[in-house]
Amino acid sequence: MRGIILARFTSFIRNPWLFALFTGMSIIFALIIGNFGAGNEKVTVPVYGDEALQTDTIGTALAENEVYNFKWMKKEELEETIRRGNAEAGVSIEEDGYEMIVGIESPNVQLIEQTVAAIYTDKIQAANLLAVSDAQTEAEKEELLAAFQHAKEEPVFEITNQSFHSSETFLFDNGLHSLFGFTLFFVIYTICYNVLPILIEKKAGVWDRMILSPMKKWEMYIANLIYSFFEGYLQVVIIFTVFRFIVGMDFQGKFPAILLIMIPYVFAIVSLAIFLTALVKNTQQFNAALPIVSVSMAMIGGAFWPIEIVQSEFLLALSKINPLTYGMEALNGLVIYNTPLDQLLMPISILLLMGVIFMGVGIHLMERRHV
Amino acid sequence: MLELIDVSKKFKQNAAVKSMNMFIEKGEIVGLLGPNGAGKSTAISILSSLVEPTSGDVKYQQKSIIKNPVALRKIIGIVPQEIALYEDLTAEENMKFFGRIYRLKGEKLNMKVQEVLEQIGLSDRRKDMVKTFSGGMKRRLNIGVAMLHDPEILVMDEPTVGIDPQSRHYILQTVKRLNQERQMTVLYTSHYMEEVEFLCDRIYIMDKGSLIASGTKDEIKRILASENTISVKADYWNDAFIEKLKANPVIHQMNVEEKEITFVVSREVNIFTKLAKLAEETNVSLNAVDVKNVTLEDVFLHLTGRALRD
Ligand SMILES: Nc1ncnc2c1ncn2[C@@H]1O[C@H](COP(=O)(O)OP(=O)(O)O)[C@@H](O)[C@H]1O
Ligand SMILES: [Mg+2]
Repeated sequence: MRGIILARFTSFIRNPWLFALFTGMSIIFALIIGNFGAGNEKVTVPVYGDEALQTDTIGTALAENEVYNFKWMKKEELEETIRRGNAEAGVSIEEDGYEMIVGIESPNVQLIEQTVAAIYTDKIQAANLLAVSDAQTEAEKEELLAAFQHAKEEPVFEITNQSFHSSETFLFDNGLHSLFGFTLFFVIYTICYNVLPILIEKKAGVWDRMILSPMKKWEMYIANLIYSFFEGYLQVVIIFTVFRFIVGMDFQGKFPAILLIMIPYVFAIVSLAIFLTALVKNTQQFNAALPIVSVSMAMIGGAFWPIEIVQSEFLLALSKINPLTYGMEALNGLVIYNTPLDQLLMPISILLLMGVIFMGVGIHLMERRHV
Repeated sequence: MLELIDVSKKFKQNAAVKSMNMFIEKGEIVGLLGPNGAGKSTAISILSSLVEPTSGDVKYQQKSIIKNPVALRKIIGIVPQEIALYEDLTAEENMKFFGRIYRLKGEKLNMKVQEVLEQIGLSDRRKDMVKTFSGGMKRRLNIGVAMLHDPEILVMDEPTVGIDPQSRHYILQTVKRLNQERQMTVLYTSHYMEEVEFLCDRIYIMDKGSLIASGTKDEIKRILASENTISVKADYWNDAFIEKLKANPVIHQMNVEEKEITFVVSREVNIFTKLAKLAEETNVSLNAVDVKNVTLEDVFLHLTGRALRD
């Protein structure tokens, strides 16, 4: 068993290019699509409306927004910007309402709208508060609003949301999301190309040689699977380490927890890989099936865009048997929703369960089909 | 010491081996000959306990190995049809890897590896990765790896496919030497007649899953004992000569080339006087008339009506 792991490892050291490619792709894609290069530059959203509104509560709230850079301009200017594709959407601001001007439908448009809507809600809440209160002087009013603001930031009752899919509160961080997505996506390739040699070696007769030797069949499987796990996990660790210590993301202090949570994910993918390998007849079929499987998994599992965007009941049902869905859910839960590790037991145990099932069925099929 | 008894193997509907009987005695080189898809690989996988037969039995020293193959596995070495090696490891690393799975280690392993590397003529390339090897060198290493644990029986599945003539010659010589010097028993599978004819004491011929002939080389050739293959040579032919030859009912499987005509004829017929007469009548001057030696190729052709390699 040690011999097999050592042989695989030696081959890897001499030929690390595929591994390097997939690791590099994950990092580069996450950097580009996650907009890391642009530093903390905010997305610019053109807005127009009465000049008076610019200094009003609405205007101040827009200016203070941390995610978007709302830029006031003339109506024609705004339309021109959107038409040229320099902005995905703009907002027309009025005293007691707003209107979205949409250029390209994208997840950002929904987010912009949510941001603006939240500002109006705040304004109405504040106005209602003042109306029902007996505050008379400006000072009193200001005190009341300050208290309201404080209460919003540090609520007495914390309402935690158990479901990650609640659309009202869905948070989206482009940088983190693409990092998670591409990491979970590309590691599928690394792992699958590490499980594939089982099929190749079986066909070539390497396994026949081992079967005739005193080595046990289970040792042969375990050694290959442990090795595949190792290489997949190594890739994940490298990627997150790069983003933690070179790009400088702090992951809200969840770096160790992320690495921990990736263990069941990588395990599930190793099992999926052996299942896939058992289903194909040869390397060509494998090469054809892998991108189809991995890209579909990424699309319905929420690696490329938030799963909240997926609407079809059928696809949502399919996403429930997709390990990537649970990997994303666990990572998002951990870092974006700040869920404590013990509350992520659900996705973690589903991943472990999937791992066991896929592996059992995969090895069984493999033994039956490829004599 | 090792035998197949009425063994059949079906893959779904496809019968790869049909009630096959075969035996190998200690110290023999036995040939298993047949075209691609004949069922050779399947037969030897069953014989080496890698595949269970659908029906029939496999016995090693009178004991069935189907349920308990341990005794056989200890003394068998297999050379798979494909190159069963790690391409990114060196020749020596491959040797050590496959030696270790047989629990060889330390000085004993090192010595064995050096010894086998010398036997297969790869000592000077032992530090090179397999992927830099020529087809012939890979084949040699493929064989060497099977000999590390000193097997009593070496089962070789088409070990010379797709390599240059020198490597092929080298491999055939090595097999012969192993047999003569160490009394290694060899089962040699091939679709090349010459190889089997050169190496083997006894031969099995397989086609479409069944054995169609078996015995010593001479026994098999005697299948054709009632017929001779005749070769007639001349500088040129004329139509009358060819037409009359063709029309003769005792002559069959005639093949006309520019300067040589071959055909098969029953032994009882005295063809020489007939040929001389015919040549005179048609004004053809013959250069030579020979009785060709019977080859296994002829036997195969005779038994199946097809050439072995088409
Ligand atoms: N694992 C398998 N599954 C299904 N069919 C097989 C398998 N192995 C061999 N066959 C079929 O059995 C027949 C004999 O194959 P094989 O033993 O490889 O012949 P040979 O070694 O003489 O070329 C072929 O028709 C082949 O397609
Ligand atoms: Mg074969």
